[in-house]
Amino acid sequence: MQGGGEHIRQGGPGEGQEFLGIGPDESTDLAAEKVTHLYRLGDPALSELNLEQLLRELLNRVREILQVDTVAILLLDERREFLEARAAVGIEEEVERGVRIPVGRGFAGRIAAERAAIYIGDVEHAEIVNPILREKGIRSLLGVPLIVEAEVIGVLHVGTLQPRTFTNDDAVLLQMAAARVAPGIERARLFQALEREHQLAVALQRSLLPEHLPDVAGVTVSARYFPARDEVGGDWYDVIDLDRGLVGVVIGDVVGHGARAAALMGQLRTAVRAYAIEGMAVDVVLQRVNRLLQTIRLRGMATAAYAVFDSESGQLSVASAGHPPPVIVPPSGDPQFLEVDPGPPLGAISHPSFATTTHKLTGEEILLLYTDGLIEVRGESLQAGLDRLLEAARGATSADGLCRGVTRALVASADTEDDVALVALRHTAIPDELALTFPADPTVLADVRQMLRRWIHQFGAGREDVGAVTLACGEACANAIEHAYSPGRASFELEARAERGVVTLAVRDSGRWRPPRGDNRGRGLMIIKASMDDVEIRPSATGTEVLMSRRLRG
Amino acid sequence: MSLVRLETRTEGRVLVAMLNGEIDMSNAAGLGAAISNQLSNASLGLVVDLTEVEYLDSAALHMLFELRRRLGTRGQAMRLVVPPGAIIAQALEIMDVPRTIGVGETPDAALQSLLQAVPEAGSPAAPNPEAEH
Repeated sequence: MQGGGEHIRQGGPGEGQEFLGIGPDESTDLAAEKVTHLYRLGDPALSELNLEQLLRELLNRVREILQVDTVAILLLDERREFLEARAAVGIEEEVERGVRIPVGRGFAGRIAAERAAIYIGDVEHAEIVNPILREKGIRSLLGVPLIVEAEVIGVLHVGTLQPRTFTNDDAVLLQMAAARVAPGIERARLFQALEREHQLAVALQRSLLPEHLPDVAGVTVSARYFPARDEVGGDWYDVIDLDRGLVGVVIGDVVGHGARAAALMGQLRTAVRAYAIEGMAVDVVLQRVNRLLQTIRLRGMATAAYAVFDSESGQLSVASAGHPPPVIVPPSGDPQFLEVDPGPPLGAISHPSFATTTHKLTGEEILLLYTDGLIEVRGESLQAGLDRLLEAARGATSADGLCRGVTRALVASADTEDDVALVALRHTAIPDELALTFPADPTVLADVRQMLRRWIHQFGAGREDVGAVTLACGEACANAIEHAYSPGRASFELEARAERGVVTLAVRDSGRWRPPRGDNRGRGLMIIKASMDDVEIRPSATGTEVLMSRRLRG
Repeated sequence: MSLVRLETRTEGRVLVAMLNGEIDMSNAAGLGAAISNQLSNASLGLVVDLTEVEYLDSAALHMLFELRRRLGTRGQAMRLVVPPGAIIAQALEIMDVPRTIGVGETPDAALQSLLQAVPEAGSPAAPNPEAEH
């Protein structure tokens, strides 16, 4: 029992009188019996209960032991300004109505403020804030503070419908009950708060990771996220479909854990995305995010790597803010770390500069970005973790296979003390000859163009060649889509091949070639003819084929 | 990611529509509607800035010609911005666009050319007959 709680006073009109000795003490036997009862409050079973169950059990036992009509527990709110009724028997309305008593006022308020037991012989003559006590016809009250580590956390009080003179023993008993249960209440309450925070943070983080990766033409992406065992981490990744065949991939790790790390992660993820879709260079994106981070209160720090991949040329640009180096995995031979100059972590300094590293990703190579949870094992050097990663990545031939292999080798065996995120990206293989079928829907046109640009790139086409062939093919495909008479089910075919510097395309639909009607279609045909060297339109019983070729000027 | 972005601003009484991305039959009609929705009767005309456009096809040209036609019926002028060496210049040349719509190499050049074509632009105090009702 803490010192403050030992001071017992009597409330009422002539408040401040010593309580001790007012009522006649009971016989020794009776007191002993009550104390035995009281020890039941220390049951190990009680510590297993959650807060609500614990409070209910406590109230029932106190009511039984002290033979009172009502028992209530009020707990201090977070700002320590009000007592809030948390549990009650006999006066359940206190909880239902959400009674709040200001600290320092009324019966319970004074107990908390003065850290002393208070006895009120007759409620009629006392300052009572809580209207329910009077409404219920309660006549006598006895209350004690709940104290944990010298801090008042609440008040426990009992009441009777008949006037009763609480004895000194009663007061001691109630104080002992309070002393026994207070730490349990505090523990349960803290646990509940932590649990709530944890659940909130988990939900927050889940909501911040992408639900599914975007479908970017020409690129295969695979990603994994493994939460830490006990805590919520701040790892994140994102795949951003940028304009013109570019795809952005970011991975990051907010320093720290818990709801704050998860919240900061959410802000950073949005910031990267916002700057990325403006088409900013990789180093500039990190710079801008760093600047933004300076303006966020409680800003914290994070490491991150941002890469932009050009699916047409295979060019990869990467910038790093203190993040572990990306890995390039060839189909055979040794995986290698991409030598990226790691700038300072985001939020570390005011005006950092980040270097851009470029790498031409061949059709078979896979890029892997990851967070340090993958390579850091307690009691092991960082180098050992990096070596194991290269070993685990060896021989992977697909983005998903790489994620799977690395996960099996490094995550499954790890303690998952830290969360882990990984993203793998691979250039989708492009064949020498194209033979593709597309649904007859205008939205596929952009994908067709992107595919064609990538395909024609490998034959040494110059900028004008790419523009002309793409334009002619786009017109022919648009024409095929317009011809489709049952939208939704209809499709068209595109074939492309290159021979001795001449590319030949065939666009085939299952509709009949319509003679140009109106300016629009006439223009389409004019554009095709002006862009290609040879154009032939072959109507047949099954559909129309537009055959066109162009010698590449380079 | 959307294929094309449209940003508009006004320069005096001229609407400047800046396009960024690729225009084809999947988005041309929507773009045309979005641009003409922002044109008020009081406007002197429209400058469509194609500097950041990487692809346009016959559907896009149709949209531009349609805008031109509608502006013409209201006595408003239209210019395009196409920088020298732009990849889309091929498509525009094929359809003789530079002669039918009028092209400037920079937004400023296009704007000046447009203002010269509109008689009342030189005297800001002159009332715009269209604006009065």
